[in-house]
Amino acid sequence: MALTDLRDKLVADLGRDGVIDDPAHLRTYECDALTGYRVVPALVVLPRDAGEVATAVRACAEHGVPFVARGAGTGLSGGALPTADGVVISLQRLRRIIEVDPVNRRAVVQPGVTNLDISKAAAAYGLYYAPDPSSQQVCTIGGNVAENSGGAHCLKYGFTANHVLAVDVVLPDGTPTRLGGDAPHQAGFDLLGAFVGSEGTLGVVTAVVVRLLHTPATVRTLAADFDSTETAGAAVTAVIAAGIVPAAIEMMDNLAIQAVNEAVDAGFDPDTAAVLIIELDGPADEVEERFAEVTAVCTAATRVTIARDAEQRARFWRGRKAAFAAVGRLSPNYFVQDGVVPRTRLGEALARIAAMADEAGLRVANVFHAGDGNLHPLVLYSEAAGEHERAEALSSAIAELCVELGGSLSGEHGIGTDKACSMPRMFSTDDLETMKRLRAAFDPAGLCNPGKIFPTPRLCGERPGPYRPHPLESAGVIERL
Amino acid sequence: MKRELLDVCVHCGFCLPTCPTYVTTGDEAESPRGRIYLMSLAERGETPIGGAFTEHIDSCLGCLACVPACPSGVQYNLLIEAARPRIEQEAPRSLGERSFRRLVFGLFPYPRRLRVAAVFGVLYQRVGIRPTRLLSRLPARVRALESLLPPVRVRDLFARTPRATPPAGSARRRVALLTGCAQRVFFGKVNAATVRVLAAEGCEVVAPRGQGCCGALSLHSGRDDEARRFARRTIDAFGDGYDAIVVNVAGCGSTMKEYGELLSDDPAYRERAAAFAAKVRDVTELLAELPPIAPRHPVEARVAYHDACHLANAQRITAQPRQVLAAIPGVELVDVPEAQICCGSAGVYNLLQPETAEELGKRKAANLTSVKPDVIATANAGCLLQIGRFTSDGTPIVHPVELVDASIRGAAAPKGG
Amino acid sequence: MKPATLAELRDAVRDTDGPLVVRGAGTAAGWAGTPLPGATEIETTGLDRLLAYNPDDMTVAVEAGMPLTRLQAELAPHGQRIALDAARTPAGATVGGLVATADSGPLRHSHGGPRDLVIGVTVVLADGTVARSGGHVIKNVAGYDLGKLFCGSFGTLGVIAEVVLRVHPLPPATRTVALPCDAVEAVDAAGRLLAARLEPVALEWCDGSLLARYEGGPSSVERRAAVTPGTPLDGAAEAKAWQRVGDVSEEQTVVRCGTRPDQLPYVAKHATRVASSVAVGVHTVAVAGDAEVERLRAEFEHVTLCRRPPGSDLPAWGRPHTAVPLMRAVKQRFDPAGRLGAGRFAPWF
Ligand SMILES: Cc1cc2nc3c(=O)[nH]c(=O)nc-3n(C[C@H](O)[C@H](O)[C@H](O)COP(=O)(O)OP(=O)(O)OC[C@H]3O[C@@H](n4cnc5c(N)ncnc54)[C@H](O)[C@@H]3O)c2cc1C
Ligand code: SF4
Ligand code: SF4
Repeated sequence: MALTDLRDKLVADLGRDGVIDDPAHLRTYECDALTGYRVVPALVVLPRDAGEVATAVRACAEHGVPFVARGAGTGLSGGALPTADGVVISLQRLRRIIEVDPVNRRAVVQPGVTNLDISKAAAAYGLYYAPDPSSQQVCTIGGNVAENSGGAHCLKYGFTANHVLAVDVVLPDGTPTRLGGDAPHQAGFDLLGAFVGSEGTLGVVTAVVVRLLHTPATVRTLAADFDSTETAGAAVTAVIAAGIVPAAIEMMDNLAIQAVNEAVDAGFDPDTAAVLIIELDGPADEVEERFAEVTAVCTAATRVTIARDAEQRARFWRGRKAAFAAVGRLSPNYFVQDGVVPRTRLGEALARIAAMADEAGLRVANVFHAGDGNLHPLVLYSEAAGEHERAEALSSAIAELCVELGGSLSGEHGIGTDKACSMPRMFSTDDLETMKRLRAAFDPAGLCNPGKIFPTPRLCGERPGPYRPHPLESAGVIERL
Repeated sequence: MKRELLDVCVHCGFCLPTCPTYVTTGDEAESPRGRIYLMSLAERGETPIGGAFTEHIDSCLGCLACVPACPSGVQYNLLIEAARPRIEQEAPRSLGERSFRRLVFGLFPYPRRLRVAAVFGVLYQRVGIRPTRLLSRLPARVRALESLLPPVRVRDLFARTPRATPPAGSARRRVALLTGCAQRVFFGKVNAATVRVLAAEGCEVVAPRGQGCCGALSLHSGRDDEARRFARRTIDAFGDGYDAIVVNVAGCGSTMKEYGELLSDDPAYRERAAAFAAKVRDVTELLAELPPIAPRHPVEARVAYHDACHLANAQRITAQPRQVLAAIPGVELVDVPEAQICCGSAGVYNLLQPETAEELGKRKAANLTSVKPDVIATANAGCLLQIGRFTSDGTPIVHPVELVDASIRGAAAPKGG
Repeated sequence: MKPATLAELRDAVRDTDGPLVVRGAGTAAGWAGTPLPGATEIETTGLDRLLAYNPDDMTVAVEAGMPLTRLQAELAPHGQRIALDAARTPAGATVGGLVATADSGPLRHSHGGPRDLVIGVTVVLADGTVARSGGHVIKNVAGYDLGKLFCGSFGTLGVIAEVVLRVHPLPPATRTVALPCDAVEAVDAAGRLLAARLEPVALEWCDGSLLARYEGGPSSVERRAAVTPGTPLDGAAEAKAWQRVGDVSEEQTVVRCGTRPDQLPYVAKHATRVASSVAVGVHTVAVAGDAEVERLRAEFEHVTLCRRPPGSDLPAWGRPHTAVPLMRAVKQRFDPAGRLGAGRFAPWF
């Protein structure tokens, strides 16, 4: 009843072509890039501007119907998973770059603009948008804001949260507001900071003001081969300990390299156990000095290839950025995991993951942001061979291992639907209840992307997994009262 | 629609920004990922063929921009070629739809019929007679059909390529030229330029008689059996004895390179088809292979090169035409925004999905003219027509080989049309 | 009350009644609004331990009452620092106090403020709930980021008890160049330095000079300083120049405001002195009197009052920006009884 009313209202306001209700058509919206979770929505709307977004949200609020914003649907945690009987609000028709302001080094864009298109528009002024998720050619800035997305170069430059000055948001009751301001100084609470990374649960973004940086003067990149992931991990620690802040340090193990080499002609050595891509950027002489130090630190490498020109560097990155999807060539199915460990425990984490994989009889490919300890183990399996459950269990166990090692359940892909049930491993009930107070302040009716981030009995069973003391707690460093 | 092929898609979305229908609609079902999802649902019997399935598969341009964009290696060309016949077989179309399709498929693959239609087209254009009653029932499509007829001189319509042209000097290659169906009628001068350039570069050029449509139009629209018939006839017409089969229409070249797969279930033709396919070369591909021997004269021009989908995506030929053009003294190649997005012509797409085609055509024309070129070059007949239809500023649009021809002959850059 | 452990802090909050006001070292006690009289004071300076520090991970966890100078002294022997240089640091400002006020200094140009450096917090809410968010790794998106929410909360959402920060390497060398110029020229000159890819870590316009500071290897720093227009400063002059930047905060009436960078001239025209991070558009502005503050607020939305002369009845906040209703809603959920820091956000709430 509410849904029929709502549909008629939305058709009246957004036009026939802005509302999808055909059952087969709706199914194309039932999942994001994490296809293991699928829920068919009742309606999909495709608003054309911020006004239509507000209209749609207000209509949902008035009808008491839950809704979820959707960007490019490249999320890997089921963040844009619809609610049955709910509405998907796709932002793919809000794709205008409203303004590039070279004097103040910022751009104002609609939420459906892709991450890469911002940099393309800024390029005319020698500027770019720094956070660079591997999915940057397709993921939207709205999705990036929701997930606080990172990328290879976030080691030096920081994440989405550090590059967004303001967002225009439609609050879950349909009220438009602006969070943040013209500069990184807000009068009052940093609501912008709290909003970025809130996984679409606090409102729908209709415009984003991003900072732009000048493209660096010099970029130097090398690919260093290692005979084990442990020695590669040790090299990462050594670089950082030398006081160097590279623009990026990425690692791929042999399985990932194989996949990448098949997908793009990146030219990595197919026989090496692990490769580190290390990039430095900045003023020429600074980069040269530091680059020499990095090369010196990589003594354990079996081979170091220094990119001779922009083309070869681009090839390294094309390879690295295609890695997740390229793994589709090695295995019919796989899970992308995303966890963080303290950098100094990288080697240990990789060794334990390898042992866990052996035990489960599954292959795990590793391709990740080594510089900030952000692991992306890819658990390969075959649905047809009935390996799904084993793979899922292994993947969850890896995420929880990260917490056990003093890290985090997620470095950039978000908790979404996928890890909501694991949250009690990292946070106590009080922690989660406190976070829910923030949610309730934004969305008292609980209609905005419900069922994400926080464990629910429906998703996790009656009792979500038990809280385990954080290792620092066990070590007496922090106390839990 | 084979399960193994469908399962290669990991739903990452990397193909979305390259897909012209997605870029214009923002609708998941109008994206490669969405279409594959629908195919997958259909394969599992979870959605019927027809309805949304037909709508979104029909709207696919078949431009294959999604193929090189896919890191996972999805063979979308095979998927869409398998999906289209399912619609033809299982989902009845409306009467109007069917008669229009019959008109298109009854006309384009047959040069002689097309020539007659084109004569009328010339008459329309000259005398300004409006379309007949029958056609006016399908307004947008007729607009598309009519404006596809380029301003041609009647004499050009009947120009034929000579059966054999000797090389200048000693022969480096003996090649057979596909003179094309639509191409032969509308672009006699592109064929003439191709023959002159190849001969100047030391090729003996044969234009086998009895060749007709290569089957591309049929294949791209799900009319498989018809495509196979055309393929067999083409193989027979060409016979053996050539170093290469040269094609100057990207859509035809990509299909002919697939003859091996197309006829893989036909024991009588299987091997010949594979051998034939292995010899197919786009004209720019061949020219890039042959170190130039004919002297080039300067052609002072800013050239915007448009990648025809069937060249860039289906055959992965992007460097060679640029290399060939850049080798012309005086030519300045300029980068074009949204280069990877299709112009909307894609075979007979502009006839079957005229609104989207029109939108894409305008977008492409705007992007191309934004860099203020003197000449636009593209290696496909469909693109030439489509872009010409939407560029209002009179920028000439030519086949790259025409520029090479002009350079070798020392002529000025060719005018469009 | 001066609790010495997290448990004592929790008990102090839970087992008392009535309004509370949080105090660190008191270096920003005059910022924002004046707390209503009669509130019990909770001082955090008893919570001053270093909780965890592993230099190779480049993160450090401290109790909120630790003064930043002391923390820097712990890090320096390992060649590391917190990239935060708020003017009140030498006066003893605590880490928690700097977070609660979202204070920062010229390094904000390259490193941002507390919001960009805090990777985890433990807070005690008005009802005694102890909650953590974030963690001990620099990259972490699990759960809401309460650390950022508490930036600029001025003790009104909860008591910050522990803070985890990311650390940065200490630079091998630094060099500052001073270019005399007015506000309009400063905006231009800053843009040119950035466009020249010289990557200064700080770009501050103060007292008629644009100060560009470079950090990095000695030769690179020298080279960059040499190509920068203006006069390279020697050690003593350099220290003095940056001292003056900090001094602006000590004037009688001071606000911090955020604008588009090219608005600096419009800010400067109201000011007696300005220390402006000109390329990011965050300005510390000393003005002649209350009326000037009101004029700034009429022009710019995000203005925070940092100092006013004793006896001034200037309201702490100007016309509410669009997110103020949302701030009220958050306050309502975190502290429904309104115990914490009543008066700080008057007249907004
Ligand atoms: C191959 C591959 C590689 C990837 N690499 C990286 C990587 O390197 N780093 C990284 O951080 N991530 C990566 N991701 C994950 C993903 O691309 C990011 O999370 C991205 O930010 C999602 O953007 P999207 O537009 O696809 O959002 P969606 O997936 O559509 O949505 C993601 C979340 O954002 C919310 N949302 C979307 N738009 C809005 C809006 N306008 N307002 C409010 N909420 C909104 C949704 O509700 C959902 O919760 C990768 C994904 C893939 C498939
Ligand atoms: S890029 Fe390939 S794998 Fe990814 S969604 Fe598109 S077709 Fe599927
Ligand atoms: S072939 Fe072209 S139109 Fe069809 S799905 Fe691929 S990119 Fe889109």
